[in-house]
Amino acid sequence: MLEAVNVTKEFGPNRALNGVSLRVEAGEIYCLLGANGAGKTTLINLFLNFHQPTSGSVWINGRDVASAPIDTKRDVAYIPEQVMLYGMLTGLENLDYFAALATGQRQPKDHLVALLAEAGLPADAVDRRVSNYSKGMRQKVGIAIALAKNARALLLDEPTSGLDPSAANEFSQLLVRAQERGVAILTTTHDLFHAKQTGTRVGIMKRGNLMSELDSADVSHNDLEALYLQHMRD
Amino acid sequence: MSRRGTLALVVRQEWRMLIADRSLLLVLGLLVALITYGFANGLAEVRTRDAMVESVLQAEAKAGRSQLERFDRIASGQELPSPFNNPANPAIAGNGSGRQAVLPSAALAPIAIGQSDMMPNSYRIGTRSKVEFMYDSEIESPWNLLSGHFDLSFVIVFLLPLLIFALTFNLLSSERESGTERMLLSQPLGLGTLALGKLIPRAAPLLAVAALLPILLLLAFRSEAWGAGWLLFGWAALVLAYGLFWFALAFAINTLRRSSSANALMLIAGWTILVLVMPVMLNLLVERLHPAPSRTELSIQTRAIQADNLRRYDDLFSGDYRYIDEPESLQAKDGKIEIPARTMASFLARRDMDKRVDGLLDGFDQSLAGQQAAADRLSFLSPAVLAYEGLTVLAGTDGQRYLTFRQDVSQFHDGWRARFEPLIMNGVAITRPDLENLPRWQAPPHDRRGAARALGWYVAVMALCALVAGVLGCWRLRRYTVA
Repeated sequence: MLEAVNVTKEFGPNRALNGVSLRVEAGEIYCLLGANGAGKTTLINLFLNFHQPTSGSVWINGRDVASAPIDTKRDVAYIPEQVMLYGMLTGLENLDYFAALATGQRQPKDHLVALLAEAGLPADAVDRRVSNYSKGMRQKVGIAIALAKNARALLLDEPTSGLDPSAANEFSQLLVRAQERGVAILTTTHDLFHAKQTGTRVGIMKRGNLMSELDSADVSHNDLEALYLQHMRD
Repeated sequence: MSRRGTLALVVRQEWRMLIADRSLLLVLGLLVALITYGFANGLAEVRTRDAMVESVLQAEAKAGRSQLERFDRIASGQELPSPFNNPANPAIAGNGSGRQAVLPSAALAPIAIGQSDMMPNSYRIGTRSKVEFMYDSEIESPWNLLSGHFDLSFVIVFLLPLLIFALTFNLLSSERESGTERMLLSQPLGLGTLALGKLIPRAAPLLAVAALLPILLLLAFRSEAWGAGWLLFGWAALVLAYGLFWFALAFAINTLRRSSSANALMLIAGWTILVLVMPVMLNLLVERLHPAPSRTELSIQTRAIQADNLRRYDDLFSGDYRYIDEPESLQAKDGKIEIPARTMASFLARRDMDKRVDGLLDGFDQSLAGQQAAADRLSFLSPAVLAYEGLTVLAGTDGQRYLTFRQDVSQFHDGWRARFEPLIMNGVAITRPDLENLPRWQAPPHDRRGAARALGWYVAVMALCALVAGVLGCWRLRRYTVA
């Protein structure tokens, strides 16, 4: 479970988040929509303790991130918009390292190869240096790292932005499978269609404020689009 | 996973990366080459010095034998004495049988050439004036030689920090710039563990080579080093403390979250200040605090005294010509001997010279001692100065050892002349047993206890500097934010 309680974050004179509260239950996919600079990534950064809130608090599985920054990261996996890896190492070597960091123990090679396959990385790319990978291939290694962690919460920062439609679809299926396992998922996106299709709930952010929250089952594509555009215009 | 387990993972990963990009191997290879070259230079210098000491001791022995042979020939009538080479004449024996005061190289001398190329390792002691053999070279303050030689101390003090920078300038910034920082720190991994895990595989091999390779070279090529005992540990402790300071500084600068190029610039600036500028500034300060008396004044005064002595002892200086026709008058009779006027004049003139310039010479010695003391007091301002001072202490080429040597030489000279003065003034002839039993110079051993105290201080201060830099880095790390 992921929870932000009345979170405000200021960078000098700029207020990136303004009293945001949201809660993502286990087995829920919460899609945060918003324009660039709305505060979506800042909120993700607070969950990862990359920044500390100016006021308010963020919680992962009932633990305050600020007071247990390392322990809370055991329960959460993260896939950024651009998965950056060690270019001199192969995809398998990268996964070996990050999975060991994530889980606390090195995983058998067969298991790692299976994870890369599950994430959709072609078998012939597994032993190639990551410096030769496309953005989409790196993203798939990032997905494999998240899969290896088998975390109870998932933070995704525009995770499909580099993927082709087929890969994006596969990724959505992965998310749904994780949701079915009871994983709490918070994802940011500009893709209204993806949010409606995949998300169980949708939040719309603007200039650091959470403007609306709604169940995706209760709104149509058109209503969601209309609401989003209305918020963006105001 | 425990913090230790995570640390081991990071260390393993860093090791793999360092091997993959070959940077560590390159730096280690360079360090091995620099250490070997620096050691070879130091060893060659020490061997030259040792050979010189050996040769002057052989010359002393040869001169002693020659004096005895001449004494025997004159005593047996096979050779007529002259005013200038009669060993029975105490004024002649005082110089002709003069001793070589030598300072032998210490066991670990190849580490640092230090003051050894400016301060003589041997003085020939006779009844001459000190001005003629102790103050005939320039006085050099302790740090002027800091940048003079490509020896091991140069490699450690100057070059080791640069090699450390090559491996650490982008310790954390590289992760941020390549984007892997977010991936790493989204895992249960603390920044401190990450930084430490990145430092260990860089510091361990580099400092191991810097500390151990010279020890192996010393043991292989300098047999005296086998008896050096704890001094070898002292070397290792000093190098480790100095290296750790630079690693800690690099860590602290990395926590400022600047770019890799900015980090490199700051590290080079720090190196320039601490290794190049600070010693020069301290040197200027030390010279200002303890200025050496004017050498020009010494020179003018010496010449004035010489001229005065020539006038004062004019009749003596011109009084030897009769001995050309009457050499037998120079023979010792009943324990007495006629001291030729010229040799008497020469002795008196030199004795008077020392009496009259003693104050000025003391000024030079006090200035040197004062500079050394001030240098010791201020050395904590720069780890480079601390390291250099420590290395010269280990090598036995530090300023203090040479100052002590000079004081010992001065005392021996005073004693030597005091022994001959009454004989010369009273015309007492030197006997063969006298010649055989003249006091010999006892070379002072390397004061290892004193070196231990000094070294302990240097290592402790450097370790403290490293600790301060490390604590500053850890403090900054608490405010470190991920981009």
